[in-house]
Amino acid sequence: MSEETAALKAVGLGLRYRRRRGHVLRDCSFRLPAGRVCALVGPNGAGKSTLLSLAAGLIRPTEGTVHVLGTGPAEARERFAYVAQDKPLPPQLTVAGTLRLGADLNRARWDAAAAGRIAYAHHAPDGDRSGSLDPGARIRSLSGGQRTRVALALAFGKRPELMLLDEPMADLDPLARRELLGALMGEAAEHGTTIVLSSHIVTELDGACDHLLLMGGGRVRLAGDPEELVAAHTLLTGPARDLTGHTVVESRGTDRQLTALVRPGGPPGDDWRTAAPSLEEVLLAHLRNPGAPDLVTEGTVNP
Amino acid sequence: MSAATAGDTPGGAAGRSAGTPRAGEAGEAGGAAEARTAKEAAREGAGSDRSPEGGRTGGRARPGVAVLRLHRTALLVWGGYVLAAVAVLVWTVTVTADAALREQARCVGEPVCGIAATLAYGDRIGMVATAVCYGFLVVAAFAGGALFGRELENGTAHLVWTQSVSPARWLAAELAVAALPLLLGSAVLVLSFRWAWSAHRELLGTDWTFADVFVARGPATAAYCLCALAVGALAAVVLRRALPALGVSVASVLALNLVLDGFRPSLWPHVTRTARTPFEVSGSAWQIENGAVVGGRRTAELGPHLCDGTAAEVRRCMAEGDITGYYAAYHPPSHFWPLHLAETGIVLAVAALATGAAFLLLRHRTA
Repeated sequence: MSEETAALKAVGLGLRYRRRRGHVLRDCSFRLPAGRVCALVGPNGAGKSTLLSLAAGLIRPTEGTVHVLGTGPAEARERFAYVAQDKPLPPQLTVAGTLRLGADLNRARWDAAAAGRIAYAHHAPDGDRSGSLDPGARIRSLSGGQRTRVALALAFGKRPELMLLDEPMADLDPLARRELLGALMGEAAEHGTTIVLSSHIVTELDGACDHLLLMGGGRVRLAGDPEELVAAHTLLTGPARDLTGHTVVESRGTDRQLTALVRPGGPPGDDWRTAAPSLEEVLLAHLRNPGAPDLVTEGTVNP
Repeated sequence: MSAATAGDTPGGAAGRSAGTPRAGEAGEAGGAAEARTAKEAAREGAGSDRSPEGGRTGGRARPGVAVLRLHRTALLVWGGYVLAAVAVLVWTVTVTADAALREQARCVGEPVCGIAATLAYGDRIGMVATAVCYGFLVVAAFAGGALFGRELENGTAHLVWTQSVSPARWLAAELAVAALPLLLGSAVLVLSFRWAWSAHRELLGTDWTFADVFVARGPATAAYCLCALAVGALAAVVLRRALPALGVSVASVLALNLVLDGFRPSLWPHVTRTARTPFEVSGSAWQIENGAVVGGRRTAELGPHLCDGTAAEVRRCMAEGDITGYYAAYHPPSHFWPLHLAETGIVLAVAALATGAAFLLLRHRTA
């Protein structure tokens, strides 16, 4: 085992629902060190939800294995929290009743204060508490964003070592997103909680995460520290020339002028003007070009 | 491995969250927000979650309590149904029987006589018999549709599985929490029905062989309910959608009931009586077959009244037809319990198989 336990590790992980319908997830291998805040990004249908469901033990992989907190998902059940994309909650319960449900189902580690902070403590700058939830309100009467808040309260109340959050931002307004990101950062900083949050909006998580998994077509395309991933790429602009020696992710242009995103294999020639790409440029270039080789930066995959 | 391996070591969770507000503040923070709803606050105060271990570490997850929380309405409906059935029986037997009995007494020797009170008495007892016997159809609909099907369809089952409760424990808790009231309610229903049905047999047109009376007078009622619960669970685990699971579970248990209804007389060896002369079995017996013995073979097509007339005519008729006697195959009333228990056993076996299959499939599907 490596010097630090991986919070989440996949080895050759794959899933297909029916024999004829191909893979939803294919040959995924990556390693997420503990304590990271990881963005799981990719377009719709890339396999993000499937990967999180597999990690949460809700479905069984057809190939490979997934390790959660150094063990199988079933053995780690008490130590991770999972919030599904559609935030399922029993509609007939009240908000307070739902939190009591969390207490009953997680007696070993339930933290009512942590859950209450997420559900009830809504801090608008002017002291407005309109966004906070009424404990007596039925779940079925809540808006999508309010339900997300309750679902996240359940996750925080569990005091998990790993949080698997599937599209937690989708239903939240910008203020609530900022609030949630703040709460997540605080949780990670204070307790060393590993956080995986998926999103199909790349920019939403930029700057908040110190780890990134880009998924596309059921595969892990990029994995690693976002800064390292960006640093591994160079944007080349220049007269149309040979790009041998570099790993080309994407190239486009005319006969005379070529713009290419490459992983440099050596110092580029003098003819090229070089520029550092943004994270978004790197991610989108990989998504536009499914044939481009995957990149997993050092330390995120087991030898 | 560096991390604490299990949450039930108190140090595991407490150590991780050192310096954060713990149990004491949990009550205050939660209480302040919850005080806005007086009802909720009152319930909160009375609830056991406010006990020291509720907000802090310690203790195993309580999926049973959670299931009760989720399905309180269904439990109340079941309780109400049992009470209503018992109330109808008690009222029918203690209040309305007198009028029917007076009517019967008045009708003795009368060529034409109204028996409305007697018919109403029999109708009410018969209605409860049907409700008690076929209650399992409602149980199947509830189990397949609401209890397991809806939770698997809308993802609340997954919500439970990603708390500290494994899918198998969730299934076990739901089955147990549903089975207990079903058993208790069935026991009350069966005992009340046995009492009501035998109170004034002379007012009833039903016999112990009637399908609903047969089931409602013993533990088969409970067995069918448990079987419906298990089949509902299996259908929901297989289909993972509420409406199809509801349909399949209701259809399956109804089919099982119809098949057993058809084979019911064969579940225990019947009695065969033969005689030289035609005879009738007792009215309380369940006659399955009767006919003539022709050339040493029992023939149901030939009725017992084939040869009529004077003794000499009968003798000649029998000799011509090679009829040596008459027979009847039947279950005497004493066969009720063996027949009933055999059916109960079959239904319970199906329930056990369905339960086992549901657990196996769930294990196979989830990690």
